[in-house]
Amino acid sequence: MAGVRRSAGQKVRLFIVRNLIWAILLFVFLVFSLTLPNFFTLQNIHFILYVASAIGLLVFAESLVLISGSMDLSIAHIAGLSSMLTGAVTIQWLPFLPGWTGIVFIVVAGAVLGSVNGFFVGRVGINPFLVTLSTFLMYNWLTFSINRGAISNVSPALVFPGGGRVFGVFFAIPVMLAACLLLGFVLTRTRFGGYVHAMGGNPDAARMLGISLPRMNFRVFTIAGALAGLSGLLYVGYLKSIPSTIAGGDDIFLAFAGAIIGGVSLKGGEGSMAGALGGVLLLGVIDTGTAMTLIDPALRGFLNGLILLGAILINKYRVRLRDRILIPAGSSEAAA
Amino acid sequence: MINPVNGRPGPLLALQSVDKWYGEVHALRGVSLEVDPDEIVGLIGDNGAGKSTLIKVISGVTSRDGGEITWKGRKVTLGSVREAQALGIETVHQDRAVVGNMSVARNIFLGREPTRGIGPFRVIDRKVMAEDARRLLAGLRLHISSVDQEARFCSGGEMQGIAISRAMHFRASLVILDEPTTALAVTGAQTVLGFIRKLKEDHISCIFVTHNLHDVYAVADRFLVMVRGTVAANVSRNDVTVEDLVRLQIGQGRHAGGRANGG
Repeated sequence: MAGVRRSAGQKVRLFIVRNLIWAILLFVFLVFSLTLPNFFTLQNIHFILYVASAIGLLVFAESLVLISGSMDLSIAHIAGLSSMLTGAVTIQWLPFLPGWTGIVFIVVAGAVLGSVNGFFVGRVGINPFLVTLSTFLMYNWLTFSINRGAISNVSPALVFPGGGRVFGVFFAIPVMLAACLLLGFVLTRTRFGGYVHAMGGNPDAARMLGISLPRMNFRVFTIAGALAGLSGLLYVGYLKSIPSTIAGGDDIFLAFAGAIIGGVSLKGGEGSMAGALGGVLLLGVIDTGTAMTLIDPALRGFLNGLILLGAILINKYRVRLRDRILIPAGSSEAAA
Repeated sequence: MINPVNGRPGPLLALQSVDKWYGEVHALRGVSLEVDPDEIVGLIGDNGAGKSTLIKVISGVTSRDGGEITWKGRKVTLGSVREAQALGIETVHQDRAVVGNMSVARNIFLGREPTRGIGPFRVIDRKVMAEDARRLLAGLRLHISSVDQEARFCSGGEMQGIAISRAMHFRASLVILDEPTTALAVTGAQTVLGFIRKLKEDHISCIFVTHNLHDVYAVADRFLVMVRGTVAANVSRNDVTVEDLVRLQIGQGRHAGGRANGG
C-alpha cells in the first residue's frame, strides 16, 4: 500500500458522488426551467430561496442533532412555541419593550426549550426519541394554550428579519445562508464539530476518549433549539402575525426530510450542512415547480413523501458507490 | 518516586482496597495492586472476573465506590478520562475507541486536537495533525495508505496502531491495553506485541489485559490474576508457566489467596 493515488477518473467520480444532491438539484431545476415558462426567472429563484429559509434553519438544526446521533421531534414546535412566547411576553405582556428585544427573546426562548431536551437526553440519559416525543406534545399544545388565535400587532422590528428586504433581497435569505456557513464551519473545522461527528459515529469511542456525552448532548440540543427560535423569527416575519398554528403541520417531517435528502444519516456521524442546504433547496424547487403546474395541493404533499423515499434509495447506492471508490487498493477489509 | 523505606523507586500506580458496585453486583472487592516503572503487567482472569471494570476505574471511564489510588506517590481522584490522560494514563480499548467514519489522523488526536487561532475562532490545525499522524504511524512501522483515509477501512491491527499512536504521542507513563490481540489475526497480534515491546523500550509501563495467556506470557514481567472481583494472585513470570496461569485463572491454583508483591 503506497500513498493514496487516485486516478483523475476516480477523483471526478468521488466528487460527483459526494455532491450528488447538487447534481440532482440542478437536474430538477433544469427540467422545471425547460417545461414551465415562468420558472427560470430571478423573481422565482428569489421566492424559492425565501420560502426555503425558515424551513432551512429547521433542517440545519435537525441535521446537527442527527449528526450527533440523536433526533429531535420537537424542533418545529420549538420554533412555534418560542414565537408564541415572544408574542405573549414582548407584545401582550410587556408592550413597552422595544421591538428588537423580541428578536433576542425568541432565540433565547428557543435555546431554553432545546436545552430541556438536552437536559433529559444528556444529563438524565433518556432516549432522544422519547424525550422529544414528550416535548413535541408539550410544546405543541402549550402554544395553543397560550393563545388560541393569532397575535397580530407585531412590531416592525420583529417582522423585519423574516419579512424585510435589504437592497431588494429578502433578509431571511442571507440569515439562512449565514447560519449554514457558520454551522458548516463549526462542524468541519472546530473541535466541537469533530466531537459532534465522533459521538454520532461511535458514542462509546467518544466517551472512552474523554468526550463528555452529557455535556455534548446538552449543547447540541440547545444550539438546535436556538436555531429553531431563529426559524420561528423568520416565520413571524413571513406571516406578520403569530398564529397558534405557526410552524405546525408538516414542518417537523420536512425538517427530517430535508436533512435525509441532503445525505445526513439517521444513524449519526455522517452528513454536512452543505448537503442539508441542498436537501432543503431541492424540496423548495420541487414544491414551487409543482405549485406552478396547477396540480392538486394535496398531491404536492404526497410528492414530498415520494421524493424522500427516492432520496433514501439514491443515498443508499451513493454510499455504496463512494465506499467502493474509497476502499484503499490492496485492502482486504471491506466496509460492512 | 523513591521509596523512603528501601530506597528503590516506588510504584508508578498503586491501588489500595478499591471497590466498585454496579447496583447489587460487587464488581471489584477491595482490589489492591501496584505497577512499577518500566514494567509490563499482564492482567488476566475469566470473563466477569472484573478486569474490564478495573481498567475502567484506572482509565477514568467510571468512578470507584471506595479505596485509594496513588500515582507516583500522590493520591489522585481519577474522576474522568481527562484527568487520567493529564496524569499520563492512556488506555487502548481494543479497536472500539476508533470512530470509523473519521480519518485516521482525526482518530489519533480525537479529543485533544492541535488547534490554531484564538477564542471562538480556534480551528483544528489539520496540517500539524496530519504530519504528526504520519510520523507516529511510520514510527510504529504501520503502512496505512493515507492518514486522511477513513478509519473504518483499516484492519484490526491498524486500528490498534491508531490507538497506540495516541499513547505514544501524548507521552503516557502508563498504557493500558484492553484485550489488544483478541480481535486480531496472528500477524496482527504479532504487530501488537511488537508495539508493547516498543513501549517498554521507551520506558512506558503497561497493563496488558487479556484472556489469551500465550500472548501475554510472551511479553509480561508479572501477572495479576483476577477471580470474582479480587486479585487472586500476583506472580512474577519467572515463577510460573502458562499452565500454572490457566489453573490460577479458574481459581484453583496454588497461588490463589494472594501473595506478597515480590517487586
